[in-house]
Formats: sequence, C-alpha cells, structure tokens
Amino acid sequence: MNPLIALMIIVPIICALFLNLLHKKDRTIKAIAIVMAITLPLLPLLANYGLHYFGGYEPLYQNPALSKGLPSLITGTALNTFHPAITYSFQDAQKLFIFILGLVAFLAIIVSLFETRRPSGVYGFMMFMGVAAVSALILTDDIFNFYVFFEIAALATVGVVLVSQVKGNYETALKYMILGSIASPILLLGIALLLGVTGNVNITDIILSLKSGAVNPQNPVILMACGMIFFGWLYGSGLPPFHTIKSAIYSKALPHGAALLQAFSVFTFIALGIIILRIFSYLPLSQLVIIGVSLLAMIMGITMAILQTDLKRMIGFLAVGELGYIGLGLGLGTALGITAGLFQAVNEVVITAFLFIGFGTIYYQSGESDIRKLGGFMVKNPKVALLVLLSGFAMAGVPPLNAFQSKLMLIQASVQAGLPELGVIMILLSIVTFMTFMKAFHAVYMRPQPSDLEIKNDFIPKATILALSILLLVCLLLGLFPQMATNYLQGISTSLAGGVP
Amino acid sequence: MNIYDLIVKRIKEAQKADSDGPVTNVSTSAMLTAEITLISSVLVALIMLRLVNNVLMMVAVLVVLFTAVLAMPIMPQLKREMNDSLYAMTFYMVLALVIVITLFYWGNFNV
Repeated sequence: MNPLIALMIIVPIICALFLNLLHKKDRTIKAIAIVMAITLPLLPLLANYGLHYFGGYEPLYQNPALSKGLPSLITGTALNTFHPAITYSFQDAQKLFIFILGLVAFLAIIVSLFETRRPSGVYGFMMFMGVAAVSALILTDDIFNFYVFFEIAALATVGVVLVSQVKGNYETALKYMILGSIASPILLLGIALLLGVTGNVNITDIILSLKSGAVNPQNPVILMACGMIFFGWLYGSGLPPFHTIKSAIYSKALPHGAALLQAFSVFTFIALGIIILRIFSYLPLSQLVIIGVSLLAMIMGITMAILQTDLKRMIGFLAVGELGYIGLGLGLGTALGITAGLFQAVNEVVITAFLFIGFGTIYYQSGESDIRKLGGFMVKNPKVALLVLLSGFAMAGVPPLNAFQSKLMLIQASVQAGLPELGVIMILLSIVTFMTFMKAFHAVYMRPQPSDLEIKNDFIPKATILALSILLLVCLLLGLFPQMATNYLQGISTSLAGGVP
Repeated sequence: MNIYDLIVKRIKEAQKADSDGPVTNVSTSAMLTAEITLISSVLVALIMLRLVNNVLMMVAVLVVLFTAVLAMPIMPQLKREMNDSLYAMTFYMVLALVIVITLFYWGNFNV
C-alpha cells in the first residue's frame, strides 16, 4: 500500500472543498490555491509505483494470511484471484500522465489567480475537483469507480464553464449537460451489462473472465456493452458527434479554464481508450472503429477550425482534431503506434494549454476573441507574440518541438503497420493546422490595431508569461529528449499491443 | 469562367447566405482550404479499402471524387450542419449511437 497514491485524489478534493468554504476570502483562497497547486505535479514524482486498495484488501492469493482457514470453495476457485477492493494502479505511464495533468493544472490555476481581480473559491473548487476526478480516471482499475469520477469530471467541466462569466456560457453548459444526460447513462448501462455478464467491475478480473473462458467473449451482451462503452468514450473525449459541443465548451470557458478542460478531455480519452483496448481488443472491429472515428475527428476538427473566427473556438476545434492523432496511434494496435499515440496525448495537453493561455492574453487585454475585431498586438507584446508563435509551431509539429517527435513516430507506426495512407493524412492535416494557426496569428498580431478596439488591461501578469515559458520549456525538452516521455510509456504500450512490436 | 472562379463564386454565395459579416479574402481562402482538405483526406482514406479489395477501392474513390465535384462546395453545408443547435447535436448523437451499436453488435458477429 502506498498512501501517496491515494493523496493524488484526496489532496485536490480537500483543497476544492476548502476553497468553496472560503469563498470571498480572496487572500486566503489565493494562498491555499497556490500552495496546493504546487503539490499537484509533485505528488506523482514523490510516489512509489504500486497498487492501492480502497475499501478492501488485495486478492487472497497475494496474502496467505487472509486466505488461511477459508473453505476451498473460495481459495480453490477464481475467487482467490479476484480483487475485492477498488484498486488503483500507479505505474510508469500513470506517473507521466498525472505529472503532466498536475503541471497544466498548476499553471492554469496560477494564471487564473493572477488574471482575475478577485479569485473565486467556486472556480478553484471546480478546477481542483476536476483534477481529482481525472487523476482517479487515470489510476483506477475499477470500471464502476471510473464511471463515478467520469461523472464528477463532467460536472466539474460544466462548473468551470458556468463560473466563467463568458457570454453564452450558461446555454452551452446546459446543452453539454443535456447531451451528457443521454450519453453518460449509456456508458453506465454498458458497464452494468459487463457487470451482469462477468460478475465483476474490476478491469483485470473482467479480462481474466474473458480470457479464461469463464465468460463467452462473443456473448451478444458483451458486444452491446462494448458499443455502449465506446459511445461513452466519444462523449467523454469530444470525438464526433460530440466535437461541436466540446469545442463550444472550450470557447465558453476562460482561457485558463479551457487549458485545463482540454487536459481533462485528453486524459479521459486515453484512460477510457486504454480500458477499451484492454478489455475489447480481441474484437476484430474495435481497432478498426477507433481508427475510423479518429480519422473523422481529425478531418472534421481541423477543417472546422480553419473556418472559425473566434480564437477560442478555433483552438477548441484544433484540440478535437489533435485527439484524432492519439486515437490513430491507439487504433494501430502496435507497440510503436500506442507509444506514439500516448506520447502525442502528453504533447497535446501541453501544447493546447500553451495555445489557450497564449491566445488567452489577447482575451485578457481586450475582452475580445473574434479575430475580425483584433489586431496590433505584436507591437504591444512582442515577447508574448513570440511565445504564441512557438506554441503554434509546436502544434503543427515543427522541429525541434515535441509534437514533431510524436507525429513522426505516428507516421512511422502507420507505415510499419502497412497503412501509409494514415501517414499522408496526418502530414496533410498538420499543414492545415499550421495554416489555421497562422491565420489567427496574422489577424491578431500582424494586422494594424482596429480603431474601435478597446484595451482593458495594458499589462500581462508575470505569472502568465512564466506559465508560457514553462510550457515552452516542456515542449523543447520533450522535443529534444523524447525518451523522457516514451520510456514511461513503453511498458503499457507493449502490454496493450500484446506482443505486436 | 474557370473551375477555381466557379468554386470561389459558390463559396461566396454560400457564405453571404450564412453569415452577417462581410465575405473577405481570408474567409474565402479558409473555406477553399477546408474544402480541398476534406475531399483529399477522404480520398486518401478511401485508398485503405485496398486492404479489402482493389476493385472496391477504385470504385469507391471514383464515386466519391465524382460526387464531391458535383456537390462542391461541401464545407459551407457542413459548417451549417455542425452548428450549436441542440436539436442538430441530439440528432447526430442518436445517429452515432445507432451506428456504433450496429457496428459492434452485428459487425463482430459477421466479421
């Protein structure tokens, strides 16, 4: 048992509750939020690898003292290997994911505290609660526990948008909740069907039931459950047909909130994607459908992004499009493909946060995100303009930044898997991504300032520039030394690929 | 009038009907880029049908290419379809659910 694993969930929840209680006590909120935000990326670095059992104990076969004296009906059957507790698993990949989530959360929280005149306890509550929920999604090996935190993450997402005071936020949040009220129960029903057939909610035990032949893997109920869980995956991550509402959600949040929300989406995407691959990869269609949906997300997301005139909506659509790259890596099903997909996920979280916070400075200064009404910011903030330009280079995959490495790996993986067409599409869409970014960059920074543009804040907080610099540093480090991330991902990729290199 | 001018003219018509803002060079070129990207990506993706059958791949590519040329510009219609209307989003959500369940339920039985 490793108590630090539990603290990765408990610390942000406690902090969230405190911030809510202390609402309106501005200085106290700021102090607590800063201190607790620092712990978010530190906890996964300090924790040792291992398992943590909530509300129970390890499987009986691992602890002979527990099984002593029990009848052979228990010790001599599959019950001996089942996990009676809610199990949290903390390994290499989880360490990297939770560290990156914690880092982005830390930066988003710091930026929000310094860009807001009066820090909101409720806003902090939503951000910390979302971080706790998504950390749990990454760690849990229990599919019902996954669903509980999936719902909490969805509610935190809605909460962040509701508190953001952006025009149209209530309507968009309500729409997201209505769509969620249909999609989430479908996911729950899928989990219930899986429980009904296998008698288990622990993912390792479900896989054991399927592989050992205790349950027929071609049972129609399991196929139905797979479809329903897959549908929940589309909703949770914002893949088509949910790409429209997901990008709307990002655009109706404040930029620092959107930076965190996209991290929630990406980690939900990979957490549930890994579960689907672990349980259902034996089904011939599962990887094919993942590739199909990912291609659709890439094409729809990026082509819609270039048509947008709202900066936040544009980045929102780009973020959805970039999810497709991750999905392609997972769908290829090879160790290289999955490593590349997960590496792309890490990079996307960092780069999209970089873009949201970078372009967020424009919204902070002018209160405007329509690129047709913006211009002249290069003269005002040349340093920030350079940082934003580099964030765009990173997203498009320009070397030596991080997405270059992950996209190159993805292209190599697709060629190796005998699908070079996917590589061609990835290159094509990267070029269009770059063009989309340059369209926004030109409009905001390189055009003369419109005469009717009102500047509300002349200076950008130093915390924002520091956050952008840290994100650039991460992009550079992962671009120059990709093994810093890929070494953490190879174990899980090899295991998911089932021996396919 | 060459084909480029024809496409741009139709994009401008579609945008004028769609938006209250002026039709600019930037918005027209963005629409044209999206159009070309959409069609070329779909065509390249269809080449993967070669893994099923070469003839099927060739027929699919030709049919989609022919349909795309006839239906151009597709992006303004697609943009109009992917609006923030709750009705549209709910419709596509239900449609996706039907497709996913059908694929997983019957697809896995018959593959």
